[in-house]
Amino acid sequence: MKVLGKKPELCIQCHACESICSKTWFKEDNALKSCIRISEDEKGGAVIISCTQCGECIDICPVEAIKRDKNGIVRIDKSICVGCFMCVGYCPELAMFMHEDYLEPFKCIACGQCAKSCPTGAIFITQENA
Amino acid sequence: MNIEKLKSAHKLLCEYKYELGKIKKGYTNRTLYINLGDNEVKEKPVTQLMKDKFIGGKGFGLWYLWNAVTSETKWNDPENEIVIATGPLGGITQYPGAGKSLVVSLSPLTDMPIDSNVGGYFGPLLKFSGFDALELQGKSDKDVIVFIDGNKGIVRIEEAPLEAVDSHVLGEQLTEMFAESEEDKRNISVVSAGTAAEHSFLGLLNFTFYDVRRKAARLKQAGRGGIGTVFRDKGIKALVVRFAGVKGNLNNPADQGTLNRTGIKFHKQMHDLDDKQNRMRQVGTANIIEVMDQYDLLPTHNYKFGSHKDTYRISSKVFKEKITQGMADGCWYGCSMSCAKAVDNFILRTGPYKGQKVIVDGPEYENAAGLGSNIGIFDPDVVLELNFYCDTYAIDTISFGTMTAFIMECYENGILNKERTGGLELNFGNADAALELIHRIARGEGFGKIAGLGVKRMKELFIKEYNADPGFINDIGMEQKGLEFSEYMPKESLAQQGGYGLTNKGPQHDEAWLIFMDMVNNQIPTFENKAEALHYFPMFRTWFGLNGLCKLPWNDITPSNNKYTDEPAKIPEHVQNYVDIFNAVTGCSIDKNELITQSERVYNFQRIFNIRMGKGKRINDRIPYRAMGPVTVEEYESRQERYDGQLKELLGYNPTGKDTEEKLKVMRKYREDQYEKLTDAVYKRRGWTIDGVPTLEKLKELGMDLPEVVEVVKKHI
Amino acid sequence: MIHVNGKEFQWEEGMTVAEMLRRKTYTYHKIVVKINDVVIPNEEFETTVIHDGDDVKAIHLLAGG
Repeated sequence: MKVLGKKPELCIQCHACESICSKTWFKEDNALKSCIRISEDEKGGAVIISCTQCGECIDICPVEAIKRDKNGIVRIDKSICVGCFMCVGYCPELAMFMHEDYLEPFKCIACGQCAKSCPTGAIFITQENA
Repeated sequence: MNIEKLKSAHKLLCEYKYELGKIKKGYTNRTLYINLGDNEVKEKPVTQLMKDKFIGGKGFGLWYLWNAVTSETKWNDPENEIVIATGPLGGITQYPGAGKSLVVSLSPLTDMPIDSNVGGYFGPLLKFSGFDALELQGKSDKDVIVFIDGNKGIVRIEEAPLEAVDSHVLGEQLTEMFAESEEDKRNISVVSAGTAAEHSFLGLLNFTFYDVRRKAARLKQAGRGGIGTVFRDKGIKALVVRFAGVKGNLNNPADQGTLNRTGIKFHKQMHDLDDKQNRMRQVGTANIIEVMDQYDLLPTHNYKFGSHKDTYRISSKVFKEKITQGMADGCWYGCSMSCAKAVDNFILRTGPYKGQKVIVDGPEYENAAGLGSNIGIFDPDVVLELNFYCDTYAIDTISFGTMTAFIMECYENGILNKERTGGLELNFGNADAALELIHRIARGEGFGKIAGLGVKRMKELFIKEYNADPGFINDIGMEQKGLEFSEYMPKESLAQQGGYGLTNKGPQHDEAWLIFMDMVNNQIPTFENKAEALHYFPMFRTWFGLNGLCKLPWNDITPSNNKYTDEPAKIPEHVQNYVDIFNAVTGCSIDKNELITQSERVYNFQRIFNIRMGKGKRINDRIPYRAMGPVTVEEYESRQERYDGQLKELLGYNPTGKDTEEKLKVMRKYREDQYEKLTDAVYKRRGWTIDGVPTLEKLKELGMDLPEVVEVVKKHI
Repeated sequence: MIHVNGKEFQWEEGMTVAEMLRRKTYTYHKIVVKINDVVIPNEEFETTVIHDGDDVKAIHLLAGG
């Protein structure tokens, strides 16, 4: 399974990834509509949050709207989703996001756009066993 | 029986088409009225008065019922109504416990209004279909199903002669029949009763939700008060609603963002803390079984005792192993508390479904106590089998437990015997007899017919027919206002005696649960403290019934910093959550005080409705002595040290050398007097007269001085 | 003599919070303990000593039904 890998020690917090992600998926340059989030810890080091495809949200969903696709990526079926956001509360990575403009939550599906935009290679698509 | 065959026997009695609408800030602004006698179907507007004074839920139910009946109406008169309503918060998907329906009717047990709170999908789907409430009046002489298709805007009343009556079968049949595909099944909810509701006054209503993983219809109960009995008496076999397209904004809230964020904050709290706190997601309310036992509060042998050496056999640890873990068990979308646990592949060993592998919805705490310790049963599989049959036959498990406990004590005291019980040896702990009893109740056979009367009518019968000592019978029969007590020991907590006794509907703990706060924590030592608690908590908890909410998310999980707040018992952060989501949906700007006032209006209205029906006054607020203190020598001596200590400390009475009969008398006089003093203090705090009637001043203060309400009050002050 | 939840309770030198809870058979796991209005963290129950005359609260956070 191809997932988004992270090396936060390389991240320079330029936020280019957030920009490209939100523009790709929501046609807007808005970090709050990005599936990857860059922040800073107490020591000033970068923190990169994005879905690891762990799949814990799958069993949380009351309507089975969350499933792995044929590539092992965890996907939300928006036509089934009832917008309860329990998956947002239960994500161990805090990588399932809600924005009030949308009825369904959103998450990284490892499309790779952000990796292409990263100047330092802090994020990259990598092969992982599902 | 195959679905096609069942369907082909249907006869359409009436079809009503309606315009689909849009919900505005939590309200559809119309309700659906159906008369089963003449098949009249009509829409009624939700008035501004209803929204201002009654909010929704049981408020709407009580208002409609008031207008439907007279003070002479009996539960089985055609004028009696069953009203089902959620509230303005009903059907939101973000905050836990928001799918509840409130069902209101004149109860066959209490002969006055009862309100019952139930999960499942029916209420929200009814609302999304277009209706804030469903009013059912009249009686059909043939068994009918009412079907509401909320996507097509059609209501149908159909004769349905061949379907099952018992809910675990009927729920599946109708989900299958009315769903347009497998995926559509979660868009169906069924309301049904069971065969016991045809032969007893203890009938409940089952509301289904379709469990997508188990691929089965699950059952939640509107348990208390016998509304299922009214349902079958009206000739209703089932109500079915279908609505596809549930999304998180169907209520068209004023502030979607706040609604979403508050929900997510709560889900995160459940994620972080539930495993360390109550383990609701693992065992549901059964988590307190062993705790009640440790603190001598688990009702045992008809509330005689508070613990038993065998409770470990029905502890939450035991049930955790039987409950399928890791399932999404919320009874409406977005409930991360997920307490609707189930035991899968349970093989029944008795009754008409013997040998079948079934899903047992439970056990909730009440079932482990009522179907377990209170009747002396400590076999978890018996508890589960009784739980299952109560659900499918539609018998309130609480009433069944408390009633059977009463019967067993009567049996052990010679008031009942094998001849009178039709051969059932109803000693405490006789599982076979208890199981056979439930089947006879369902069949309305022999002693089953008598047991199905409930404790109040059985008391009268035993005194009249079997020469039972009225004093003893009235002391041990744990009912008040006609409703059986729920499964907590109020004996050692004066506040909980008030929490049970000074209620509107009868001794159900949905108004107040103060046992630990009072007895163990000693946080409400004076009468005034207790009265304040018996004002605040019933008013706060009533609010859930106005809005279509479940009480559990309020305090079955506690934020980590709760202990540092001013009033931790109120869980201030969660109170604020409710204020925030109410305002977020409705666009109002209430605060936590206005929330209480909303409840006070409906609470006082319900009290006056009770008075209108000839109950509702101080004399009806008395409780049986078993709820207050030790009735028998055996009970006194089981806690001798504690009781002797109390006599010394509280009364300055020296127990040394006195015989138990003497001490019982002294203790009784003291406790009965305490209850009277508590009643005085509570009525005062609530703004009621010494006889328990809301004063005109109070009604004016609340803006509840409606002419019809004032008319009733004036006759009693 | 100390007070626990407003009632007198027998005290002895060196009694810890954990010991007091054991003697009261307060076995429930969600108890907030305060000594003279100061919250004592759960991890410190075994090591925190109660002194003569202390006003102790052992508040059970049991929601109930």
